[in-house]
Amino acid sequence: MTAADVFKPPTAPVEATHPIPAGIRLAWLHLRTRRVPGAVLALAVCGALLHAALRWHWAFNTGPYAQQVPMIIEAGAAAVIAVTAHSPFGETERATGRSLPYLRLLTAIGLTGIAILALQLGAAGENLNDGILALARNVIGFTGLGLACSLVTGGLLAWTLPIGYMAFCQYALLEAWTAPGTWPVRPPADRGAWICACAVFAAGLLLFTIRGPRTRLSDGS
Amino acid sequence: MPLPRSARALRLEFKRNAVPYALPLLAAVFYFDTLRTGAGFAPIWTVRASAITDHMLFEFSAFAAGLAAWAGSREGRRRTTDLVASTPRAPWARRSIALAGTLCWLLLAFLAGVAALYIQTAVHATWGGPPLWPVLVGAAGVTVVTVIGFTCGVLFPGRFTAPLVAIGVLVLSQTGFRHALGVTASSGTYALLSPANSPPVVDAGVYHHVAPDLSIVQVMFMGGIAVALVGMLGLAPELRQLASAGGRAPLRAALAGSGSWLLRAVAAVLVACGVVVSWAAFALAGTAKPDPVGGWEIPALHSAASDQPVPVTQDCTSSSGFQVCVHPAFSFYLHDLAAAFDPVAAEIAGLPAAPAGAKEVASVSGGQDVQSGTAANPPVFEFTAEHVGPMLGQFNGYPDPAGWAQGFQQGLLDAFLTGRPPHPGPVPILLGPAQQAVEDALLTAVGSQPLNPAVRSAGVSAAARRFAALPASARHAWLAAHLTPLRAGAITLAQLP
Repeated sequence: MTAADVFKPPTAPVEATHPIPAGIRLAWLHLRTRRVPGAVLALAVCGALLHAALRWHWAFNTGPYAQQVPMIIEAGAAAVIAVTAHSPFGETERATGRSLPYLRLLTAIGLTGIAILALQLGAAGENLNDGILALARNVIGFTGLGLACSLVTGGLLAWTLPIGYMAFCQYALLEAWTAPGTWPVRPPADRGAWICACAVFAAGLLLFTIRGPRTRLSDGS
Repeated sequence: MPLPRSARALRLEFKRNAVPYALPLLAAVFYFDTLRTGAGFAPIWTVRASAITDHMLFEFSAFAAGLAAWAGSREGRRRTTDLVASTPRAPWARRSIALAGTLCWLLLAFLAGVAALYIQTAVHATWGGPPLWPVLVGAAGVTVVTVIGFTCGVLFPGRFTAPLVAIGVLVLSQTGFRHALGVTASSGTYALLSPANSPPVVDAGVYHHVAPDLSIVQVMFMGGIAVALVGMLGLAPELRQLASAGGRAPLRAALAGSGSWLLRAVAAVLVACGVVVSWAAFALAGTAKPDPVGGWEIPALHSAASDQPVPVTQDCTSSSGFQVCVHPAFSFYLHDLAAAFDPVAAEIAGLPAAPAGAKEVASVSGGQDVQSGTAANPPVFEFTAEHVGPMLGQFNGYPDPAGWAQGFQQGLLDAFLTGRPPHPGPVPILLGPAQQAVEDALLTAVGSQPLNPAVRSAGVSAAARRFAALPASARHAWLAAHLTPLRAGAITLAQLP
């Protein structure tokens, strides 16, 4: 055996014969590292949970209590999106190119759309108090909170802020708060609530896109 | 002296646990949802303690389930299961330390919250002491939710486990609450097992002890589930082995795998004990029936001693000869009450069967709401903390002080003009037109605005204005002469002067 045998160049990978465009491969790898397929499955679970809650009347049909269970599930969907912010590579990934912010942006927007779609499908054919518009607004707002939280806590614990804010909104709902900042408890036509929810989403998305989630050597305890 | 190994591991777990990072957020939610809601209730220990199970448990469930799932999924999430398998500790012991660390943090936070709520209540309450059963039910709720979350984290490690478990637990909690709000004697058993419920009547635990039967059953049920799940954690490797084999591997072969037989036997016993205790609690809850004082009674657990009235001397005041008495728990209302009653009592003083005083009585008797009325011999207006005339929940607070005082004045006049005695049953029917006109006139005469003047007919309003315009002595003389037919409903509006 000679050194030439040892240093023989490796054979070309199988993909080389049917090359996948680099952009698509990069996007797919990014989605996989963020467990986006799992997130889509989790969002489908949220939709199914909403469907079951409405179908078997786990929640009240009317009055302030009627918003409670849908709001919990909306916050849960947003929490799932926030958790996808975590990267297993940490800081080293940031040195790999300029496309990372775009990938983060598109992933977050795409998952928010999928979350709204999944919950809308879950509510299809059932009587959702306040309708789909309020559902979409709440998912958008809670997602913005979750993305913003990921900058402080890291992706894996980013679910805490949407869930915590939802718990506060349960109180605001029963106390009939009217401040736009408590957008989840406002009626679907409330313009101030929409502005607040969209502003929170835009701010969270922007910060998340530019800075990315907090990364640590460990993923916390 | 060095710490034992388990204590050292627990100390490390305390230091690395994620719960402290979530405490500021939890404290903020607790302040709004529990503390502010509790402050809005009347400062009665039982009523304010209901915020523990109705509000506090909700926010703690969200964080306890999620953070416990986070701690439970640590080994799986970090893919260190194989690495730590080579350590001398059994997986169950390792996980028990992580669970204990998480649970200790959460229970400490929970008890700190209870202390804050109880200190706030102690500052305002005038009678009684802190009830312990709501604290035990709440602690059992936090424990079971933590164990559920931790078990889910161990069995399904992943980044989505924590948020999904959190919302699952919250949906479960809200579903139980929804059923508990509409609970009746014929409702499903599970509705009674929900710790969250509507606030009790404002004088709950004041005239009679609150029977702990339902709380005992709830603690048993939740404790049983927690014990069974802790046992299941001991069998987690075997269960995972079964799951990975798609259920094809026989259970006996899985149980005969690695690890100590003793540990597996203990785990199996814990699972069995937990299931039995939960099942027993479920069966006991099925035998619950409403008790005469507004709570629930479970025959197998019920103590006859808790049915006895609480001995107490009422607080009284009689600044103008009209004596007003309330339970010491409500003595903070006493002088406001006397100020509300005095002008109306002066208007009717000396008339036949006019009450010489007012006294607060228990709001539930024989399982029914007690309505206010004039007790005979001596004539005393008896009202409850819940019902005064047609008004409800008067002792829950007075956001509108003028309306609050008028509610008592109207209640006193309702009872005087109808001669109705205090009685259990539904809210009494409205007054007749002439009685209503006289009541409105007397309220106007003492400077109060009659309630709901918009719903009065024009005839009643005109007669009331006419009667109110009379001199006080003329009104008094007419009432002395016509009170009996007025009470019988035999006076028409046209006959009013």
